[in-house]
Amino acid sequence: MSASVTLQPNALVAVQTAVADALGIDAEEAVAEATLFGDLGAESIDLLDVLFRLERITGVKIAVADIAGLLQGGIPDEEFGDENEVVNDTGLTHLEKVLPQFDRSQLTEPLTADGVLGLFTVGNLTSLLTERTSAAAA
Amino acid sequence: MRQMKLKNSAALVTGASRGIGRAIALALAAQGAAVAVNYRSRAQDAHVVVKEIEAAGGRAVAVGADVSDPVAAAELVSRATDLLGGLNILVNNAGISDDALIHDAAPDAWWDVMKVNFGGAYHCTHAVLASFMAQGDASIVNISSAMGERGWIGQANYAASKGALNAFTRSAAVEVARFGVRVNAVLAGFTPTDLVSEVLRRDGGKGIKRQIPLRRFATVEQVAAAAVFLAGPDSGYTTGELLCVDGGFSAQLGIGRP
Ligand SMILES: NC(=O)c1ccc[n+]([C@@H]2O[C@H](COP(=O)([O-])OP(=O)(O)OC[C@H]3O[C@@H](n4cnc5c(N)ncnc54)[C@H](OP(=O)(O)O)[C@@H]3O)[C@@H](O)[C@H]2O)c1
Repeated sequence: MSASVTLQPNALVAVQTAVADALGIDAEEAVAEATLFGDLGAESIDLLDVLFRLERITGVKIAVADIAGLLQGGIPDEEFGDENEVVNDTGLTHLEKVLPQFDRSQLTEPLTADGVLGLFTVGNLTSLLTERTSAAAA
Repeated sequence: MRQMKLKNSAALVTGASRGIGRAIALALAAQGAAVAVNYRSRAQDAHVVVKEIEAAGGRAVAVGADVSDPVAAAELVSRATDLLGGLNILVNNAGISDDALIHDAAPDAWWDVMKVNFGGAYHCTHAVLASFMAQGDASIVNISSAMGERGWIGQANYAASKGALNAFTRSAAVEVARFGVRVNAVLAGFTPTDLVSEVLRRDGGKGIKRQIPLRRFATVEQVAAAAVFLAGPDSGYTTGELLCVDGGFSAQLGIGRP
């Protein structure tokens, strides 16, 4: 891990509960570092399930589009990647900013646009939840 | 006194100004649900249904919308939700027919029927889904027909629309089950309403009745009772089901007798 962030414990437990229930795994398996799509084997309907469960637990609504928005940061497709949809320097720099664990030097193959969601971890979702919770409270 | 089964529920019934939809609205209200009574053009009829529910001590509102239009359907759902303060039951009942032999009909005679019978259910389902999935406990009931599973001369377009609705019911059910949303259908047999008055006119329906194992037509209340069952907690473990209320019609092989 290139960087560690302190995760808010209540938010982490909420995310772990939602992930475990949606994927039918033990909450202990849903560690902060685990990627939802890679390590935990989630599919898109699973992510929807996770987000609705999270909404029921916390009352905070996060849409799949919010996650996509975080990952791409409003950068247009053509500036985020090249014509083969391989994420370029602009895209990688943005990802390093929003995903603390992401380190481009660790990539074993070029990162494609489709692969970006695969970087998203339980910890990243926890940070997003915390951010949303404080935004709602403010 | 018997316990009402839908006390904290709010339901939207499409096409509830007349016929089967009206009976469903009344039956849901009798179980304590607040009901949005949708109609397409007959506002007066819808208001009569609302008054009837109110007179019996229930809560109801009338909301006009053409469910074949996706924008209108979404507005219908959001208005119903606002007026009732929530929504956890959707009954897709609005339906039309346009009977003719395929040979005689215009080449696009399937489209209007499809747009209401299947499109309406798709649009309304789409519109309620985010809130139903977030609630984690909600029910969708599609009013379909035995015609969707078997052939009938002169109703190819109608049968196709109901076949689509039945297939949609199964697929939607498996897709949203994990979100606590159930999707089922009632496959009604012949039920005397405006919709089938033409079919039943010829000989008062005698020729058809003779082919139905129970030898009689359904009442709108019998179809409504099945819809209430599928909408409520008694069917809590049932999803993706196509429940026949057809007098044994679709259980029978051919004419069913020598
Ligand atoms: N009757 C039967 O034998 C039978 C058998 C099997 C299945 N079904 C199904 O049961 C359902 C109800 O049929 P029914 O016999 O009660 O028919 P009906 O008496 O003709 O009533 C049809 C209802 O649907 C409404 N409607 C029609 N098009 C609409 C649209 N585009 N948007 C919103 N509402 C619309 C009508 O509203 P307005 O009053 O404003 O026109 C009316 O309330 C239908 O889906 C039908 O296919 C009926």
